[in-house]
Amino acid sequence: MAQNAIDFLLVHPLILAVIKILIVFAVLAGIVAYLVYVERKVLSFMQARLGPMRVGPWGLLQPVADGIKLLLKEDIIPAGADKFVFLLAPAISVTAAFAVFSVIPFAGNFFISDINIGLLFILGVSSLGIFGIILGGWSSNSHYPLLGALRSGAQLVSYEVAASMALVGVLLISNSLSMVEIVNRQYQMGVWNIFLQPVAFFIYLIASVAETNRNPFDLPEAESELTAGFHTEYSGFRFALYFLAEYTNMVVVSCVAVTMFLGGWLRPFANIQALDFLRFAPVVALLGVAAFILWLGLKSLVRGERYFFVALAAVCVVLAGMVAIPAALNALQGIFWFSIKVLVLLYAFIWYRATFPRFRYDQLMNVGWRWMIPIGMGNVIVTAVVRYFVSLHSPSTPAAGLGG
Amino acid sequence: MGFTDLVRRVFLLDLVKGLRLTFSYQRPSATCTEQYPLERPVVAERYRGAPRLNNHPETGETLCIACNLCSIACPENLIVVGWARTEDRKKRLTTFTYDLSRCMFCGLCEDACPVDALELTQDFEIAHYSREGMIWDRQALEEGPQPVRYTR
Repeated sequence: MAQNAIDFLLVHPLILAVIKILIVFAVLAGIVAYLVYVERKVLSFMQARLGPMRVGPWGLLQPVADGIKLLLKEDIIPAGADKFVFLLAPAISVTAAFAVFSVIPFAGNFFISDINIGLLFILGVSSLGIFGIILGGWSSNSHYPLLGALRSGAQLVSYEVAASMALVGVLLISNSLSMVEIVNRQYQMGVWNIFLQPVAFFIYLIASVAETNRNPFDLPEAESELTAGFHTEYSGFRFALYFLAEYTNMVVVSCVAVTMFLGGWLRPFANIQALDFLRFAPVVALLGVAAFILWLGLKSLVRGERYFFVALAAVCVVLAGMVAIPAALNALQGIFWFSIKVLVLLYAFIWYRATFPRFRYDQLMNVGWRWMIPIGMGNVIVTAVVRYFVSLHSPSTPAAGLGG
Repeated sequence: MGFTDLVRRVFLLDLVKGLRLTFSYQRPSATCTEQYPLERPVVAERYRGAPRLNNHPETGETLCIACNLCSIACPENLIVVGWARTEDRKKRLTTFTYDLSRCMFCGLCEDACPVDALELTQDFEIAHYSREGMIWDRQALEEGPQPVRYTR
């Protein structure tokens, strides 16, 4: 009887899906929390300072402290606010941001679901996040949030078009809307889509920065003009939700860019057997992290922290040893390469923030409508024409003439 | 618009230049932050900080001859020198108060001192919880500031 129950649990598709969702959600929440920490650190280093150093060794417990602070804060609802919408708006933002992960393939064998309209689902659901911003700004019954929300709505709608145009180019090459199929297609063609669609990648990169309200497109929260934009009146936990949604959106657009353009879970040159030694990259990466931590520990001025860092480096070395087991190495290949690519893109987001000044509003609209969308449309047309002729002449290897 | 100009604008080379600059600032040597209680800052050689009354290094007696020149030199009139005559009619220092709360660290008292008894040192940790604590007597001046050393 107990055996039957275990079998049922193992076989039933719903159970497996729920477990996967829980894993993905927990890991992502942690990643997003530490993304804030990484952002503060990287930004600090680029500005010749150290960033958070006081809470825990090298400020490692800062996200925990921030979270506790936000949870304990007083929850203020402004007078005259539309209370129901005010409470609902941040939830919409967060839900829309996290829902996208249900179709992202993190590895060839690890994804929550593979639906045949994956790309449409992503575009549709991530557009819903705009509702959270507009409703939040409107329901606050305050001037700055309303103006911020209007700007945000205009910006997001404009750049959504450009991003979609960029993705259509990939679609024409891949012949599929399923995210898993798109990555498999890149494996079959032996080349990542970025090399076939560099213009589309460029447009998507810029549009995704604009869609996540990040520098240099962070007009909705231009503090010199609009205090804090649409979330001016939000505090405490609800503000934390908006914050979570913004950083989750960063991870989302990075994941989509990696899947669509950078070969998803594939390692570089996945079909060249001679480069198979690249499969030991996770071990090397972990050893590199251990060396970095050891170096940090040597630089640390506090004796207790030094012990902590040495212990952490030892843990990393042990993990590297465990990963070196062939079975574990094979299981981790996909997720490792996927994470590395996503991390590089996330780093780029922070890098842009440290470098570029903010656009003026009319410049933003100018770039969006007069440059991004026409270039995206041109890219779609050229791709479609080339694709038509290429597939006509050699139906077995489509898109091979596009530089593949 | 020349060809190089066109290339620069199409490939956004100026932005790449900016990105390279911010990237280069991540090297650890570029960091300016000083972790103060853990790291002691190095102040300039001629920094004027907490005052000190010097004693003779061998006998341990004060170098001050109670001439009162520092008190006269002080623009804020915050130095009060107390003395008494010994039997051989020599002036001998009894008390010395120095009101740090009014001091602007101009160093005129230091310059006025004929025997290098009064000196503005490089110590800078002179904060106190009360106004009274900022008025240093002779004993405090001879000992110098005693800041709590931060160890972990």
